[in-house]
Amino acid sequence: MSSWFDYTLNGIIIGNIYALLAVGLALIFGVARLINFAHGSVYVVGAYAGFVAVTQFGTPLPLTILIAVAVGALLGLGIERFGLRPLQGYAHIAPLLATIGISFVLDQLVQLTFSPDPRAVPSELLQSRFQVGSGTIGALDILIAAIGLASAGLLYSFLRFTRLGWAVRATAQDRDAAQQMGVNVDAINRTVFAIASGLGALSGLLVGMYYNYIDPSMSFQATLKGVVAQVVGGVGNVPGAIAGSLLLGLVESYGIALFGTSYRNLFAFILLVAVLVLRPNGLFASGRQTPPEPMTGTFIAPSRPVRVPHRVLIALALAAALLPVVLPDPYVLQTLTNAWLYGLLGLSLTLIAGTVGLISLGHAALLAIGGYASALLSINLGVPVGVSLLCAGLIAAAIGTALVFPSFRLRGHYLSIATLAIGEIVSLVILNWEGLTRGPIGISGIPPLSIFGIELDSNRSVYWFALAVLVVLAALQLRLLGSHLGRVLRAVRDDDIAARSYGIGLDRYKALAFAVGSFAAGISGGITSHLYSYINHETFNSQLSILALTIVILGGMGNVAGAIVGSVLLVGLPEVFRIAAEYRMLIYGLVLLLLIRFRPQGLLGTV
Amino acid sequence: MLTLPRRHLLAGAAALAGLAIAPAGTRAGPAKGDPVYLGVSGPLTGPNAQYGAQWKQGFDLALDEINGSGGIDGRPLAYIFEDSQSDPRQSVAVAQKFVADKRIVAELGDFSSPASMAASPIYQRAKLVQFGFTNSHPDFTKGGDYMWSNSVSQADEQPLSAALAVKRLGLKRIAVLHLNTDWGRTSKDIFVKAAKEDGAEVVATEGYMPDEKDFRSTIVRVRDAKPDGLMLISYYSDAALIARQLQQVGVKLPTVAASSVYSPKFIELGGDAVEGIFTASRYFPDDPRPEVRAFIAKFKARYDKEPDAFNAYAYDTMILMAQVMRESGTDRKAIHDGLARVKDVPSVIFGKATFDPNTRRVRGAMNVDLVVKNGRFAIYEGGSAIR
Repeated sequence: MSSWFDYTLNGIIIGNIYALLAVGLALIFGVARLINFAHGSVYVVGAYAGFVAVTQFGTPLPLTILIAVAVGALLGLGIERFGLRPLQGYAHIAPLLATIGISFVLDQLVQLTFSPDPRAVPSELLQSRFQVGSGTIGALDILIAAIGLASAGLLYSFLRFTRLGWAVRATAQDRDAAQQMGVNVDAINRTVFAIASGLGALSGLLVGMYYNYIDPSMSFQATLKGVVAQVVGGVGNVPGAIAGSLLLGLVESYGIALFGTSYRNLFAFILLVAVLVLRPNGLFASGRQTPPEPMTGTFIAPSRPVRVPHRVLIALALAAALLPVVLPDPYVLQTLTNAWLYGLLGLSLTLIAGTVGLISLGHAALLAIGGYASALLSINLGVPVGVSLLCAGLIAAAIGTALVFPSFRLRGHYLSIATLAIGEIVSLVILNWEGLTRGPIGISGIPPLSIFGIELDSNRSVYWFALAVLVVLAALQLRLLGSHLGRVLRAVRDDDIAARSYGIGLDRYKALAFAVGSFAAGISGGITSHLYSYINHETFNSQLSILALTIVILGGMGNVAGAIVGSVLLVGLPEVFRIAAEYRMLIYGLVLLLLIRFRPQGLLGTV
Repeated sequence: MLTLPRRHLLAGAAALAGLAIAPAGTRAGPAKGDPVYLGVSGPLTGPNAQYGAQWKQGFDLALDEINGSGGIDGRPLAYIFEDSQSDPRQSVAVAQKFVADKRIVAELGDFSSPASMAASPIYQRAKLVQFGFTNSHPDFTKGGDYMWSNSVSQADEQPLSAALAVKRLGLKRIAVLHLNTDWGRTSKDIFVKAAKEDGAEVVATEGYMPDEKDFRSTIVRVRDAKPDGLMLISYYSDAALIARQLQQVGVKLPTVAASSVYSPKFIELGGDAVEGIFTASRYFPDDPRPEVRAFIAKFKARYDKEPDAFNAYAYDTMILMAQVMRESGTDRKAIHDGLARVKDVPSVIFGKATFDPNTRRVRGAMNVDLVVKNGRFAIYEGGSAIR
């Protein structure tokens, strides 16, 4: 059937585009063991550098390519030197969040410079196209494939056959040992970031020309697809990145053929999770790859947590409860109600990521499950809102834990990637399961909050309700953390091999912590849906997951009081800056970077 | 025939009145004093930021005019734009802020209907007009009597698109590609229903994500359903991408696009791939109406580029709000009451704008059917639909 040939051709074409991104990500992960979330932003900067070169200076294509690569390489050097090198020796989460902060800053700078309008990037390659099957292929398709393969081949040769390449691989395997053997690991990191970022910028230019379209917000999707492709092929494996990209392109194309376009990304993320669970080193990696040995003690933050006496906590809770009497401003109450809801999210993640060490990048999915569960129960089955909220917590705990359970044996970044993918899968299932969720229309007319038949129809009553839920769950979590079980959970974080050797069943304790945390997140999502009366699949999006992680980092990982302080600051500060709207995300990114750099243990310290 | 001389007479009288007033300087001078504030909730960052930027251009152009001719009873009109990212959670926070701010007398926005509808209960309870000038969801104005809009409801617009596709172009087997969003899905449902009523069969529908860029496999899937024409329910950026890839995949079919593609950007991004695509617009720059010509001249003088539909909607809305306030006063209730009374406001989009009291939308949607010809939009005057 000729259509299948066309689908295959389309899959290869888009796979080549993914390959351009995946190769750079693979190189950086190979050396720094880091998922570089700023890579998509480098791609955007490269696209705009090419745009300026072509439209303002009329440069020929080879020179345009050189300019984009040079700009990307310089940017990569800057990112490594100022954004990441100061974080060597910090917990894994710090450079991960630093790259997220860098991506916010870069995207916003591009938008401020060029405006959010999409731009056309003219390609001066021959416009003639030749027939392949029912479709056509142009010179740019060939160029993209050639550059992808050539860059992979060159990098493979470089890593395999040159002295510098050997040094890169040695650094990737054991940076401390490499340093002792005389390798200048800082120079290695610089080299790798420059090469990878040059490639990223080049891919931005080529894809911009391919679609005749660039805009500042295209970075996140680019990073996401690049991450999927390189994980499928084998994290840190350059030839695997090419193979993974082509496989991803084909899976997406065939998925569209069989089920339709709205399922496209669902197939991509399901492929990712399947590979992670079944073959975590990737389809094309050596099965004998040894996981890095954790060094006992290196995860302990370099400071003690700030001890907040219980009396002070109680006084603060009372002060918060009295606030609506003293300051009945509805805007302040709405903002703080949001802060309490984010505080619930922070409690959830600080237990899961902070106490147990499971860094989740898909936490918004738990809010979505809770939000939809409570909305649907109250609308379709007439369940009273108070009961539907409890059910929302339980349903989020059950579904969330079941979804993530197969990933618990993953380590480090693999688990973070799996949770990112699961978060996207939940959002896409909500979008496509129209019979239950009404798909993209979303659910409107969600009944307002009520307790025992009493409707909470004022800002004050909603504020008090959210605060009460937060205080109760925070108290329960403090109780948990102070118990023997709390110590077991921290042992799982600090050294899971040692914990297992003491007879602790790792997966069961991880599941227990995840379920407890998911309950709080589900409650938060449920309250949100009743508060806003309308939700759709984008209400709880991936930006919320990153925000949740930032709250946890800001307050101090595993720190209950810190999660609440973090949420108040992170909800309050953007409100203060909202009037400077165009700079808000820039400021947010910078604050994130400064926080990670100078206070990595968080305001109240890691517990 | 008697009406023509009367209109000329009235126009002459108005001109004379203007001349008479000008030397006195009591009304035509620049406005001063405390501003009258409108709140604007819309996207300045995030994936919809380009539309917020276009709004600002339209607003600022209108304000030059309004404040240059006396403002509102001598006070300058101004707006406070709060960034919501067109996100329902953020539009609610913005709404709380606006209703609590006594300076703000009415609210414009939000960009997307879900973001506006999430905030509607707050504006309704606080009795602050929420004017959703880009909210085409049929249910937006059902949120309460403080929800008003001069955006044409999809319930009115999509039947016009269906009539263009089925009756004027003669398409019988239509495939629909639509944004898989609230707007795209609602529009698709209404279009499909109207096209079937007009006698066509809808042989395929494909929903895609807003950040999608690769449409090749989607197009193959649609092609295999053997349509004789395509309907794109898209914004201009994704429609341009689809058009280019239709060309790349080798699909040559008459293509109709929703009026939201009407923008110079559509042609810039799509290049020759958008040649022959049909669309419609309530705003069209070659329209000979004087208010359209004046708008375009002023816009180009200020911004050095062609305006698009989002610029025009924002401009129209600011002009409308100014007239309501000049006629009825500047407190919140007066604006609410004034919207029901205001008649025949000069409008780039409508010519004259008056509200239907039942729907609280402007009566009389007019579409100009357009086709891209020689790299520009031109009025479609019938004839061959073959691309």
